[in-house]
Amino acid sequence: MTPAGPLRRIPFLAAAHLRHEWVLTLCLVTALAAVISPLLVLLGLKHGTIQTLRERLVEDPVFREIRPTQTREFAPAWFDDVASWPGTSFLTPTILPLSSVISVALPDGSALFDLIPTAPGDPLLLENGGTVPGEGEVVLTAEAARRAGVAAGGEIAARVTRSRGGRGEAVEARLRVAAVLDPRAGSLPRVYAPLPFVLDVEAYKEGYAAPARGWAGETPQPYPSYDGAVLLLPAPLQPIVRSGLAINTGFGRIAEIGPDRVRELTGLAPPEGFACYDLPAPGAPVTASSLRAVDQKLRGLSRVLLPYVRDMVLRAGDREMRPVGLSLDSSQAALLGLEPTPWPGFGGRLPEGGALVGCLWPAADGLAPGATVDVRAPGQAEVSFFLRVAGSIDLDRPVVPAELMGVLRTAAQRAVAFDRQAESFRMARGGYRGFRLYAASIDDVPGLYRRLKEQGVEVAAEVEAIERIRVLDHGLSRLFWLIATLGLFGGTGVLVASLYAAVERRRRDLGVLRLLGFARRHVFFFPMAQGLIISVLGLAAGFGGYAVLAGAIDRVFAMDLAPGEAFCTLPGAYVPLFCLSTLVLASLASLVAAWRATCIDPAEVIREQ
Amino acid sequence: MSATTAPMIRLEGLVKTRSQGGSVFELRVPSFEVGPGRMVAVIGESGCGKSTLLDIVALVMEPTGVERFEIAAGPAGLPADAAALWARGDEDALAALRREHFGYVLQTGGLLPFLSVRRNILLPAELGGGSVPGGRLEALAEGMGLAGCLDRMPSSLSIGQRQRAAILRALIHRPRLVLADEPTAAVDKGRARAIMDDMHRLAREESVAVVVVTHDTDLVLGRADAAYSFDLEHVSPHMTRSVCRPCPGGAP
Repeated sequence: MTPAGPLRRIPFLAAAHLRHEWVLTLCLVTALAAVISPLLVLLGLKHGTIQTLRERLVEDPVFREIRPTQTREFAPAWFDDVASWPGTSFLTPTILPLSSVISVALPDGSALFDLIPTAPGDPLLLENGGTVPGEGEVVLTAEAARRAGVAAGGEIAARVTRSRGGRGEAVEARLRVAAVLDPRAGSLPRVYAPLPFVLDVEAYKEGYAAPARGWAGETPQPYPSYDGAVLLLPAPLQPIVRSGLAINTGFGRIAEIGPDRVRELTGLAPPEGFACYDLPAPGAPVTASSLRAVDQKLRGLSRVLLPYVRDMVLRAGDREMRPVGLSLDSSQAALLGLEPTPWPGFGGRLPEGGALVGCLWPAADGLAPGATVDVRAPGQAEVSFFLRVAGSIDLDRPVVPAELMGVLRTAAQRAVAFDRQAESFRMARGGYRGFRLYAASIDDVPGLYRRLKEQGVEVAAEVEAIERIRVLDHGLSRLFWLIATLGLFGGTGVLVASLYAAVERRRRDLGVLRLLGFARRHVFFFPMAQGLIISVLGLAAGFGGYAVLAGAIDRVFAMDLAPGEAFCTLPGAYVPLFCLSTLVLASLASLVAAWRATCIDPAEVIREQ
Repeated sequence: MSATTAPMIRLEGLVKTRSQGGSVFELRVPSFEVGPGRMVAVIGESGCGKSTLLDIVALVMEPTGVERFEIAAGPAGLPADAAALWARGDEDALAALRREHFGYVLQTGGLLPFLSVRRNILLPAELGGGSVPGGRLEALAEGMGLAGCLDRMPSSLSIGQRQRAAILRALIHRPRLVLADEPTAAVDKGRARAIMDDMHRLAREESVAVVVVTHDTDLVLGRADAAYSFDLEHVSPHMTRSVCRPCPGGAP
């Protein structure tokens, strides 16, 4: 004997019983299918409708775009941060809207097209039949291609113009058209180009050069700025002249100071008998124009005007230094009875050829001329550069060109970078004026939108359209679950009643089974097996009914659907879940009948007629 | 019964009390045993307790009290203590005994209406996990006049055919004990005698212990190897006592 023998026979006997009473079984299966089919159709409609609406949004990347509605500066670090947010799919900086245009040669002249930066992964391009352009390439919108009379693989002649010193200048670039976008990508004539090209166009328009492209222009040198200036004269100033120095010069006031203060601000000791004045400019930087204005007012007087920067701290390794700025030409040095500095005297331009990073090092350190010291200065972005020792000085602080101090002061407000090759400083790109941001899915848009708003970034997105679908989805889900609950109660009730009735009808047969050697625990599974068989048949009939109904619904609404779309469709993952839920419910529904079956006393029922 | 052969079933000091509607019925069986290859008749009028005795022997009714209740179920004929199994409430073991060693014939056959005659007959063998040797079913069916009925549903058979199919079902898995509860109640006299002859013959051929419950003394006359009958005693207006005793002479 095998203990599982009787248990193994139960499903066979249950199935045989259902087959014998096939009319009743058919009724039961039909009743169950009548509950399952509408539920499946309802679930399919809910999912299909929402899915169709969602896909219509998802398909078009425009609905995943989050656009800035104001121009402000975004630091490179901001882009790194936002790119790492969950839900961000694509992010690239953009430039000033005014610079975002490029003149494109047309068959009958030229026209200004929008110039938009792009980068690898740009969904607007990739999902509209385009590719991401490489260096020397662009992607055109359908309208731009139509007007330029080119197709993918062709070439356009782009012209960048600027006005500098009242003179119009222009450069040209021949760009290969890597792709033409579908009309859906936008109706405006637009040129999508790699970010470096767009940045060079912006720089050129602002007057700067793009050496890699052979576009001439200025190098964006940082301008020096100061906290004030020290004025040294062999004789004191007339009161009227003295007062005049604080009027329309950019300096706030003028004060007489002693030699110690002069040494603290400039590193030099004034000759005996010299009048020393401090010209501070609280709250505003002192620029070259302020110094020129003062210089103009002192024409004819022997004087030395030395701009200074206060509280500048440089770090060389762990060591902190407080340098002073001093640039003296030979005549100024002669007036003061000093040696001229190894770099030119203070003038309108920054010293070139490495003179800007020269320094006189404290003699106590014993550094030989020509030695370099790597230093870092604080600023908008920390400036890392080196100082080249040009000599020593009997001072506990290094003396550097006044222009270097001015540049380092400017670096506190604007990003400045040091070019080690050219040994010169230039203005680094402090940030970008906008961005193009795409969320990974439409569901990520509201979150990103809110997060940007919280940062104070004014943005626009198709949040409302997405929210509308969410609200609809939520509403339909609640409706579905309400009807599903009612349906499940009905279906469960049908099963409970039918299986219980089947046990009552077959009491004698179940008693005979007990007599033949089935234990109570064996007959317990008889109604359960029947419940499962009926639910499997009900599921099959229910899915069949669903297939017919769903097909009919989709045919009725075929006019409103695009190819591949369906109003009534079930996601694959729902099917096993639905089947499993039904089987579990059927098992639970059969428990009452199963319990009833175990209560049958064979001695009582086997003689019933 | 041979003196050297252990009885298939041995009951001593059995008491079963049943209450219904304020009246009490008490069955007492001082001693009851059936040996292999023998047919024992349990004879009595309606209400004397013969079906109660049969249900107790069939292990579907628990005795109120019993001194000894053994079934020779072990491979070497070692008795299983049914009294102890009831005391322990070991339903699985009792069901296993019924499954492997018992065959049962009800008044109206007791065939399952949703199985074919063949599946009905083979069910006990399938339950025990054993197999029926090829040709045994057909040979038995031939002997019982059911050769052409095996693939029909029970509802299409006559009452006599159903009874004979039930007898086959009771024998197919080679049980040691066949219990027949009024197996001829629903057939005419001639068919009843034929059924009784079949059972007697099969008891001999298959070496099976057969207990036949009947109220028809004539039917078992000359066929049963032993018989038991009941003495009814009205102890009080509300209590009836029935004592089962062997018939004098060992057979009716």
